[in-house]
Order: sequence, then structure tokens, then C-alpha cells
Amino acid sequence: MDIWDVKQSIKEMNLPKNTLAVLIILTLFTCCFSHFGFAQTTISGIVTEKNGTPIEGANIYLDGTYDGITSDVDGKFNFQTSETGVQTLIASYLSFETFMMAADVSQMNNLTIALREDVNSLDTVVISAGTLEASDNSKVSVLKPLDVVTTASALGDFVGALQTLPGTTTVAEDGRLFVRGGDAGETQIFIDGIRVFTPYTPTTNNIPTRGRYSPFLFDGITFSTGGYSAEYGQALSSVLLLNTIDEPDQDKTEIALMTVGGGVGNTQKWEKSSLSFNTSYINLAPYLAIYPDRNDWEKPFEALAGETVFRNQFESGILKVYAAFDSSNFELTQEDINFAEGLKFKLKNYNFYTNASYTGYLNQSWRIETGGSYTRARNDVGIMTDDIDNTENSAHFKLKFRKRFSNRVKLSFGAEQFLTDFVEEFSNQFVSERYGFNNGISAAFSELDVVFSRKFAIKVGARGEHSQLFDQFTFSPRTSLAYKTGKNSQLSVAYGDFYQQPMNDILKFSNTLEAQKTQHYILNYQYVAENRILRAEAYRKDYSSLVTYDDEFPFFDSNYANNGEGYAQGFDLFWRDNKTIKNVDYWVSYSFLDTERLYRNYPVEATPSFANKHNLSAVAKWWIEDWKSQIGFSHTFSSGRSYTNPNLPGFLQERTKSFNSLSVNWAYLISQQKILYVSINNVLGTKNINGYQYASMPDANGNFDRRALRPAADQFFFVGFFWTISEDRSDNQLDNL
Amino acid sequence: MKKLILILIAIVSVNTFAQSKYQQGMEKAFELWKADKPWEAANLFERIAQAENENWLPPFYVAQINVFSSFNEQDKEKMVAQMDKARNFLNDAKARTENNAEVVVLEAQLLTAWVVYDGQQYGMKYSPKIAELYQKAFEIDPENPRVVLGKAQWDIGSAKFFNQPTDVYCDDIRKAIELFGKEEPAGEFYPTGGGEYAEQVLQENCEE
Repeated sequence: MDIWDVKQSIKEMNLPKNTLAVLIILTLFTCCFSHFGFAQTTISGIVTEKNGTPIEGANIYLDGTYDGITSDVDGKFNFQTSETGVQTLIASYLSFETFMMAADVSQMNNLTIALREDVNSLDTVVISAGTLEASDNSKVSVLKPLDVVTTASALGDFVGALQTLPGTTTVAEDGRLFVRGGDAGETQIFIDGIRVFTPYTPTTNNIPTRGRYSPFLFDGITFSTGGYSAEYGQALSSVLLLNTIDEPDQDKTEIALMTVGGGVGNTQKWEKSSLSFNTSYINLAPYLAIYPDRNDWEKPFEALAGETVFRNQFESGILKVYAAFDSSNFELTQEDINFAEGLKFKLKNYNFYTNASYTGYLNQSWRIETGGSYTRARNDVGIMTDDIDNTENSAHFKLKFRKRFSNRVKLSFGAEQFLTDFVEEFSNQFVSERYGFNNGISAAFSELDVVFSRKFAIKVGARGEHSQLFDQFTFSPRTSLAYKTGKNSQLSVAYGDFYQQPMNDILKFSNTLEAQKTQHYILNYQYVAENRILRAEAYRKDYSSLVTYDDEFPFFDSNYANNGEGYAQGFDLFWRDNKTIKNVDYWVSYSFLDTERLYRNYPVEATPSFANKHNLSAVAKWWIEDWKSQIGFSHTFSSGRSYTNPNLPGFLQERTKSFNSLSVNWAYLISQQKILYVSINNVLGTKNINGYQYASMPDANGNFDRRALRPAADQFFFVGFFWTISEDRSDNQLDNL
Repeated sequence: MKKLILILIAIVSVNTFAQSKYQQGMEKAFELWKADKPWEAANLFERIAQAENENWLPPFYVAQINVFSSFNEQDKEKMVAQMDKARNFLNDAKARTENNAEVVVLEAQLLTAWVVYDGQQYGMKYSPKIAELYQKAFEIDPENPRVVLGKAQWDIGSAKFFNQPTDVYCDDIRKAIELFGKEEPAGEFYPTGGGEYAEQVLQENCEE
């Protein structure tokens, strides 16, 4: 609108002169009101940090208006407003909590606003005792999701990758997680907060197992080696928390061809939801034909597996439904000192697992997490002429709420129910027995998180559990706190009581027992600077009420009791660095463990055969730009493990020689969508010994003969070709390797 | 006298009718930005964003300033704080507009900032997502020069990495320059410009 238009419009309006005058006065008034500042209020003051340091660049304004300004170099601000009455003044600055003050504008002068540091910011202390995180968005990540698939020794198994972290013991012939002197059953695995009842594919003696679930479904892994949250129970030593991906990248099809089988996967993505599935078929027959191992395979290992995930985003939440089915079978004869013709073993396993979870916000401050899982696992096992068939049906339901009182105070509480129905049938030509148990555990937990400042935070919680089978109630207090000792370092301590029911192999024969117990004491020091992390942790664990029995194996008529006890103590060191050497990322873990326990059929307290004093892992990954390749190395050293030599007095009194294995891998990016992957485990062919089997009867000289327990094969080769087909041709399966 | 009054009215009218508070604020913010005071500009955009709670442009510019600044930020902790702030305001902008190619491009740029922050960690994770976002922006508005440029720049980076020919993407950059030349802003204060930068990209990538 230019001047001429205004003139014209006024002319055309042809208003009476006095109206015109009123209009002019009104307009003038409005104009001058905002320009000459009478009836204007001045808002002024200074913005500082808690300690008085002025903050430059803070944004100060009246809520919902245009009136405001940026603080100057001295933290001072001064602006005018035409607003009157009670208004809300806001002051905000990066990494500080937003300040709000409601008052009459006339009161808002010469203010001193001290902003509180935002405790959600990166340099806030983190409770780190016992917890090893593998995620993208945490500064304290010791492992990144990708590491699971690019660590040379892991062969794509997330458990294999975790075995390079401190606190774990190398038990090469088993493959499961052994944490700080605990046996494998003392670690529980959760997917999206919901329990997994049968996480490992069953195998037999001296053949390591693998985790069932494909690693590329997860983008966050938290591995706690002690002192974990009250939210998790039924684990004496450790919990492993796996979080599935919220939203896949894009539509794609993935094809894998490997020396041991093949797989196909597909992901479809829509506006709010996505569906992924993948199937794989593994057959070791061709591999074993070329590289026979020490076993005599009648039917080499064969497995068919399928997984699917559906995700749906709602306005304020996300629903995930996950289902996995797998079936595996094999039959073999293993060398055995007590059977000249060997020990015959066959196994068929069917496993179905489904898990549904919902996480969402009810409003600004209430968050809900709920879900459930159901497992059906069936094993048909044949050992010589014995047939053992078992079926487990288990379910877990959980409901958890979290109330956020402020950035600094959060309370969570919830309840959960575990149900297990286990039936086993044993038969041979003489007997046929059917037995099992039906167990329910109800639990409730609550936890309070308080962050006092960026320097100091505590977590206090408690968990109560009731076992239907034993009619026993247990109460476990847990607490941890962390204190920042410097810009990059912090100390953290944790204490907790943990209960766990005996495993299925005991419960199926006896239900007059009670829960086993541990107490954890942890002291942790952590130093994190850019792309470097150092962790040192000392711990002590006291075991009590461990299950004991009086036969060689748990049996129908063994005498069971909770008379066992023990301890584990030691320290763990971890160093990761991807800064010092260009294009090289490496980490080193060392664990020292001192443990003895009286449990199972031990006559005296002794160091179990799954525990050893020293464990060292070194992993390195070297990216060679010119070759489009990543070359990885992984070395594991562990000192000898105990075994009983019946030719000498004592129990578990001897030690094997130490274990060494160097693995290498090479991933070559042929193009954006095609990857060739080669790996060799134990490239040096070190002759490792996992233990000894002694004859049950002495020979003519009164000597018990023995046989070394060697791995089925000293080395393992793997070659795979991975091809991703997607619309934009940039994705690849490097993260699947 | 009458004449004087008319002139007065005219001045007053120009002042009050020609520019709303929104326009004044936005203009001031762009001035600050041009005067190399991006944080004061961001603060002002932020104030406008909370006063005008349906307009996507103010939060879009808060996010953009934070994303662009994070590319040059040396302090890693500040960089993360900026990227987090950008994410917040980008989400606000997203909620206020639908199918907007400019917002999609900015999201791709934000993820690129994460890749710059830690390539080893975020490169593999975000690369497919970034490519997908550029593809999506291109589907929404294939004639938008910033979309064409962003996509071509990303594709060139990937192609170079795998020693593949980049000619086809250089043509895309040339096309973007052409589009910049005849670009009309889609609305008042809408994103515009970038032609000079496109020339620079072309020179760096396509001319030996």
C-alpha cells in the first residue's frame, strides 16, 4: 500500500471530517504508542551460571510475545514491552535448563537469573558401575552395535562380541556368557525389556552354542556385569538387555550366501509402520566334507530359522511385535574314554519365541512400558540308548510406569509375572518316567533416580518377588551412585541383592528348595575423553543358598538342598581408543578373577571349571580406504581352568594350560551393495585344551586314564557374500556381518 | 492543513499496515544472520517460533542455524548440543507443515552433521537414511534447486568413495545451478538461494 493508495482510499471513503479526525488521532496514538514508549515497561537484568559467570547469547523473552532479546557479553539484557500485568519471562541457553518466571512485568527489572545446568546434557555423570553399554547415543558406549558383526572372533554372534568385554570368562567349548565367576545360567537376556527364556541354540558337549537372534535386529545392547536395576530379576550375575530397532532405514531385500548356508531378508516400510522378515538355512555338511573335525557326524548340524518384526508408530508411542521360529537337528558320535565305540548323541530342537511391547507417553510426565513374551521350546535328545524329550512353555508379562517429576527426579515402578511349565519324559529299555514342574513368579519393583547436579546422581530401588513353587518371598534392595571427579572422569559405586530360582535341570526333580542369592559390591572408575574410554572396576560377590546335591548328575532321587555358598572377587580393566592411530579402532579387556564356591556336588569349596584367574582380549579393526576393506584381528588369552585329576588327592586341584586364539577377518566392499567377507578363527592353529575326561574305572595299574577335551576343530573358516537390493542403491549389509 | 493530515495518515499507515510484527521480526532476524550474528538471529527466530505457533518457517530457521553451525563447531560437546537443539526445532517445523521438501533436506543435513561428528559410528547407520531422505525430497519437489543440489552432492560423495563415475551427478549440479537462476521464492521468507554454493560444489567436484 503506497501513499497514493491511502489518499485515494480516504477520498473514496468520503468520511465526515470529524470521523476522519478521530481516525487520525487513533492511528497516531497506536503508532506512537509503540514508537515513543510511553506505557512501555523495561525488562532488564543479567543471566549467569550458578557460580556467577555471565552467560552471553542467552535468549530472554516474554512467553507468547515478540518481546525479547539476546544477552550481551556481560550476560546483561534490557528490552521494552507493551505487555502489562502478569507475564511469563523465559530465559534459555544451550545445555542449561530453561528458566521461567511468572510475575507482573513491572517487577521484571534488575533481575538476576542463574541458569541451572541441564542434567540431560552429555557431560552429566552417568551411573556406570557394572554397566557396559553398546549403543549409538551414549557417550559411555564401550561397544557399538556394529562391533557385534565386525569383531573377528564373534562370527556375527552378539554373545561372541560380548565375550571380548571385561568381566567375562572364555569357556570356548560352551559359547554362553560366563560372568564374574557365575555359571552361564546366572545371566538373563531381555529383548525390549521382556525376558527371553531360551536364548541359546542347544548343543552337546564340547560344541559351542550361539545366540539365537540375528544381531542386526538390535541397535542398543546393555550388558551389565553386576549391580543392575531393580527392574530386572532372576539373574544372579548379569543381565543382557537388547533393544530392537525402532525404525528401519528403507525398503530392501538382502541375500546372503555363505559356506555354511544362506539367507534371505526383506523389509517393507510404510508411513507409520514397517515389517521385516528374514530366514536362514544353515547346513554344515559341505563344510565338514572338506574339513572333517574330531567328531563323527551321522547327520551334520542343520538349522532353519525365521524371524519377523512388525513396528507401528503411534502419536505418542511405539508398538513392536517380534516372532522367531527355529528348528535345528544333528546326530553324531563323540570320542569318549568310557565307551570304546564313542558316545552317540542326537538332538532335535524346535523353538518358538514371540514378544510384543509397547512404549509410550501418557502425557508430558508419565511414560508407560508394557509387554509380554511367550516361548515354546521342545528338545528331543538321544544319548546312547536313552531318550529324553522335554517341552518348556514359558511366558512373561510386564507393566512399568515412569513418572518424571523434573529433569532431575524420576520414579519408576512396575510389576511382572513369569510362568513356566516344564515337562520331561525319560525312557530307555528299563524305565520310562515323566516329570516336570509348573512355576510362577510374581514380582514388583520400584526405583527412584535423582540427579543432584551434573556431578552427582543416585539410583535407589527395591524388588520383591514371590515364588509360587516354593511359596517364598524375597526382597532385594539395590542402590548405586555416581560422582564426577573431573571433566572426563567419574567414580561410581553399587550395591545390590539378587535372587534366582534353581535352573530347570534341578527344578524338574525337586521343588522343596528356595531361591539362590548373591550380593554385589562394585566400585567403578571411568575416564572418557574424545573417542577414548578407560574403565576400571573392582567387585566382590557373595553367594549363598546355592543348590547342592549328592550324585554325579542331578537325578530323580538325589538329595537336594540349599547348602551351597561361595564368593567371587576381582577387577576388570577396559581400554578403547579409536583416536591415536588413524583408521584403527582397538580395545583391550583384562579381567582378574578369584572365586571359589561350594555347589552342585562339590565336596569342598573349589574354583569351578568355568572360572579362571586371567582373561585378556584384544580386538583391532583397521579400515583401509584404498582397498575398500576392513581388516579385523581379535586375540583371546585365558589362563588355565580347573579339573579334577582322580590320580591325585583333591578336588578340581589341577589347571589346564592356558588358552590362546587369534582370529582375523576381512570385509571387502565390492560396491555399495555387495560385500565379500572372509574370516578365520584361530588362524595360528593353537592346540587348545578345554579340560580332561578321566576314565570312570582305573586300569590294571590302578591309574585313571584320561583324554584331552579338544575343540571339535582347531580352526574355522568362513566365507560369505552379501548382497542388498534397495531402491537408492546405497545400503549394504556391512552391518550384518 | 488537510494536506498535512493526509501526509501524516499516509506515514502512519505505511508504518502500521505495511508490516506486521511477524514481518518485522523475520526481517530483523535475517539482518542479524547476514551481519554474522547467527546466534542472535537464532534467538529471534526462536522467539518468533513460540509467538507464531503454526508457522513452520521460524523453527525451520532455528534448526537450520544450529545444523549449519554444528558443521564448523570444534567443541564436540557443543556440537552435540546444537544437533539436539536442531532436532527439537526440526520436529516442531515438521509438525507445522506436511510434505515439505525443504524440511526433508534439512533433516538429511542434520544426519550428515552426525556423520561429520563421528563417521565411524554414524556413517554406516545414517548413510542409507540420508540417501532415503534426499530421494523423498526429490519425489516431493524435483524442481527445487536445494533438493537437486543436496541429492547430487550426496550421490557424488558416495560414488567417489566407490570409484564410480560422477558425470551424471555433475549434470545434476549444473541443473541445480540452472534452477537457482530462475528460482522464485515459494512464499514470503521462504528458503531461497544457494546458487553460489552450488557453483563452488561444481568447481570442487566436477572441474579438474
